[in-house]
Amino acid sequence: MLREEINNLLTQTGPGTMMGDMFREYWLPALLTEELPENDCPPVRVKILSERLIAFRDSEGRYGLIDEFCAHRGVSLWFGRNEQNGLRCAYHGWKYDVTGQCVEVPSEPEKSSFCASVRLRSYPLVKIGDILWTYMGDPGKTPPLPEFEFCLVPSSQTFTSKRLEEANWLQALEGGIDSSHVSWLHSTGLKDDPLFKDTEGNRYNLGDFKPHFEVAEADGGLYIGARRNAEEGHYYWRITPWIMPSFTMVPPRGDHPMHGHFWIPIDDENCWVYTFDYQPVRELTPQEVQAMKDGYGVHSLNIPGTYIPVNNKSNDYLIDRDAQKRGESFSGVRGIAIQDASLQESMGPIVDRTKERLVTTDVGIIKARAKLRRAAIALREQGTTPPGVDPVHHRVRSASVVLPKDASFIDAIGDKLQVQPGVRQVTV
Amino acid sequence: MVLPTSSARAHTAAESKFRLSYPLVSSRAVRVVALDAGAESTVRRVAELSWHAASFYAAEPSWNADGLEGGPFNFTLRELVGTPALLNDVLLGVDAVIMVATSDAGTKAAAAIGSACAIRGIMTAGIIFGGAASRMTVSALRPYAGVLVVSNDEYDLEAILSALRA
Repeated sequence: MLREEINNLLTQTGPGTMMGDMFREYWLPALLTEELPENDCPPVRVKILSERLIAFRDSEGRYGLIDEFCAHRGVSLWFGRNEQNGLRCAYHGWKYDVTGQCVEVPSEPEKSSFCASVRLRSYPLVKIGDILWTYMGDPGKTPPLPEFEFCLVPSSQTFTSKRLEEANWLQALEGGIDSSHVSWLHSTGLKDDPLFKDTEGNRYNLGDFKPHFEVAEADGGLYIGARRNAEEGHYYWRITPWIMPSFTMVPPRGDHPMHGHFWIPIDDENCWVYTFDYQPVRELTPQEVQAMKDGYGVHSLNIPGTYIPVNNKSNDYLIDRDAQKRGESFSGVRGIAIQDASLQESMGPIVDRTKERLVTTDVGIIKARAKLRRAAIALREQGTTPPGVDPVHHRVRSASVVLPKDASFIDAIGDKLQVQPGVRQVTV
Repeated sequence: MVLPTSSARAHTAAESKFRLSYPLVSSRAVRVVALDAGAESTVRRVAELSWHAASFYAAEPSWNADGLEGGPFNFTLRELVGTPALLNDVLLGVDAVIMVATSDAGTKAAAAIGSACAIRGIMTAGIIFGGAASRMTVSALRPYAGVLVVSNDEYDLEAILSALRA
């Protein structure tokens, strides 16, 4: 359980909140590059950390992320015209560039300097990999750009999708840290999902439903190791890195692509889930990419033209009770991602953690919350930069490995939990 | 007809107020055992905080130098005030035991506690504070702790006890 004030501290990310201030120390995914596919394309509404913004790509390919509303009368610039290096309000023609600077007020005399005094708040928007990243904090403290491996490998080796989750970011993130649910909620996916099935590791997963957990410090967050019984004298380890504030990687399975998530607060009751798959040393196959687009693995099948899953809260996630009864699906909900979403959203938009009954196997979640809280307090009181801001912290990998029973996973494969360009991941 | 309140659409903030509200069991009985001298200072500090159902002990290897001939329940711990406490009594009615270590000096105590807890079906956790030396401690504690945390933050013991409603 958490006291109410701590639950509030961790879940509220709007301007001026402690966790909001902490999120504003990081470069964050703001949207997919595919959402702004060409110069002068339609602008996109972006709500992030409870701030309403508009993203656009100007005539010269520059990206902008600015206050959604025109300084004149408060009209949404989403209705605007993206033309000639600026976004022009549809109401009276005021025009803004990618920095939010007003460059034209048609009603003013030609030589008026009025527009120079009008500037909307803006944040940088930078393309790295398939994602447009923003930094919403103090411009004087802008950190170096992110260096997550999935963004840096060639585009033929990586795929990123996005889905809406109607729940607070923290309960979604906690699902990524809590790997004890995999043997239950996702058990059938291990047998038939094209991006999971037919690996040696699955046999260990399905042969031991009571994993033991070991949590170790990482420079940017935590490593959460789950061990299950393997052959005599050995354990099968699945090691999940969590990099603060909200990046996790799922341990790999055989030669299937590696994957993971970012959970980015839209507001306190919704978040975007950015989900990636990549291979460090080989291209993704057309079959793999198609499976990801079809919602297999950790991706979701979305309503065309949106990032809202087809199976969602409004249709009870199309739960199939017959499939559940037949044993084809443990929960009756199709797909790993939506299985998670269905349960995380069922907790309510912000779960009341004063009522939860945690057990010792929840220690990864407990430690993650403690780290987040301590970092937010240290930032507020001492100005301490939180873990995970330094790009060195981003260069992590998940791993799955069989080790002798007395081996420390950090000692045995610690260097392989770091990105090694050109070297294959450690996987069973 | 499916009403909004009988579907997943009911999981809104507004509907949350209709969740049943009744008192949960207020606390869980947890025993915290410092396995070595280094761990004891952390355990002593946390013991001074206010807890519902947590009790704090230290292992005293010299008292058990002859091994565990009488079985793990005859292992003797020490209350922080110095009074001996038989493990058999310490574990009565307990939900979870947290072992705290800074070295592998407390392996014998961990073995006794782990064995006794396994017999009684009590969950065990280990917290290891320290740097490089913690790696050996991990191997020493692993057979006896259901979960292990290697930490550089003393606050973690407090956070885990709070989360468990101790």
